[in-house]
Amino acid sequence: MLLANNISFKRNTKIILDNINLTLSPRKIIHVTGNNGSGKTTLLKILTCILEPSVGQVFWNGKKIKKDPFNFYKDVTLIMDKQTSNLTLTVKENILFWKKLFSSSINMKEIDSILDLLSLREYNNTLTSNLSYGEIKKLELSRLVIEQKKLWVLDEPYLGLDNHSTNLINQTLINHIKSDGMVIFSSHFSPNVPNLEILHLENYA
Amino acid sequence: MRSINSILALFSREFLITYRNFADILSIFLFFLLGIMIFVFSIGPNSEIFNQIGIGIIWTLILFSNNLTLRKFYQDDFNDGSIILFHMSGLSYEIIVLIKLIAIWLFFQIPFFIIIPIATILLNIEIFNIKIIFLSFLIGSPILTSIASISGSMNLLNNKNFAIGSLIVMILSIPIIIFNVGMINASEEVIKAQLSILLGILFFFLAITPWISAACIKLALQNK
Repeated sequence: MLLANNISFKRNTKIILDNINLTLSPRKIIHVTGNNGSGKTTLLKILTCILEPSVGQVFWNGKKIKKDPFNFYKDVTLIMDKQTSNLTLTVKENILFWKKLFSSSINMKEIDSILDLLSLREYNNTLTSNLSYGEIKKLELSRLVIEQKKLWVLDEPYLGLDNHSTNLINQTLINHIKSDGMVIFSSHFSPNVPNLEILHLENYA
Repeated sequence: MRSINSILALFSREFLITYRNFADILSIFLFFLLGIMIFVFSIGPNSEIFNQIGIGIIWTLILFSNNLTLRKFYQDDFNDGSIILFHMSGLSYEIIVLIKLIAIWLFFQIPFFIIIPIATILLNIEIFNIKIIFLSFLIGSPILTSIASISGSMNLLNNKNFAIGSLIVMILSIPIIIFNVGMINASEEVIKAQLSILLGILFFFLAITPWISAACIKLALQNK
């Protein structure tokens, strides 16, 4: 279970987050909403121990994530709003890199079926720089299945995706929470998925 | 085991990316060789002068070439968030820095062992001095890579003034250049002493670079 307690974040003198509390238990999805600049990405970074909050603590299964982040990272997949796939590598090389980096037990057959689902298999040996924005985003999202972690933290996962891919992501989220997973994502799009809780962030001028 | 897999994955990724961007390595070496040629043309055919200042020319150009690799260190991985991914795979920022150091040294410095002999021919340097150049380069190049790593990590959030990164490298490199060039035409005892000092500087930088660069990366992530 992920628990964020009284999270506040200031950059210089500007308040970005003020007293945010959240509890994410298995089989639950939290949708973080808010206007541009309301701190959605900052909150997700704090929840994954990349940023340190000015005030407050984040707990994973009752333990402070700051004390042993690597133990926490064994259970978390973070999909950022940026594309971490390297543009000079092919689709397959990027996937094999992630598989090795996260010591994933997924086999090549499973990887091929994911690529089939995402309509990326034909681009297996294509340089990532030759893919469209949406295709690179789909490649990025394939990390969710490759890493096989319990908690998914997704920053703008629907950005640049077509209807088919959006439905596919929704289905993947539903399957994940059915198998006791947890998801927290930020988006301006409201997907139709069960067990969804909305956390709205305000702007602090 | 998990960490070893991650380290190997990161290392092979660095190799693949360098291989795909082979033109970058070539342009660095071309810069080095063209620099040597410009010195040759501007000084003229005087082997006496080249024997005296040839090593200085080589080291100056190695330093300038090293400046071209500055942004290869962390900038791309920082901008696209890959560095966070490496960290989340279980590698501390210090280990990531160490892997980058080894990779950049292997891919961008070791090939200088092929280029330096060409430069020594162009500058007509004596055989005995060539041996010393190799030895001093073997010790000096990891120091330069470490300095480049520190400068690269210090400038992650600097998108305006790129020259400042090169300035940091040049200031920190002054002692290395002094001790490397000082070995030429020196007696055997002096050479031994200079090598010992260089080794000392090398171990000092190898010890501090992972911590300094990792601290800079963390600071940049916190302030982005």
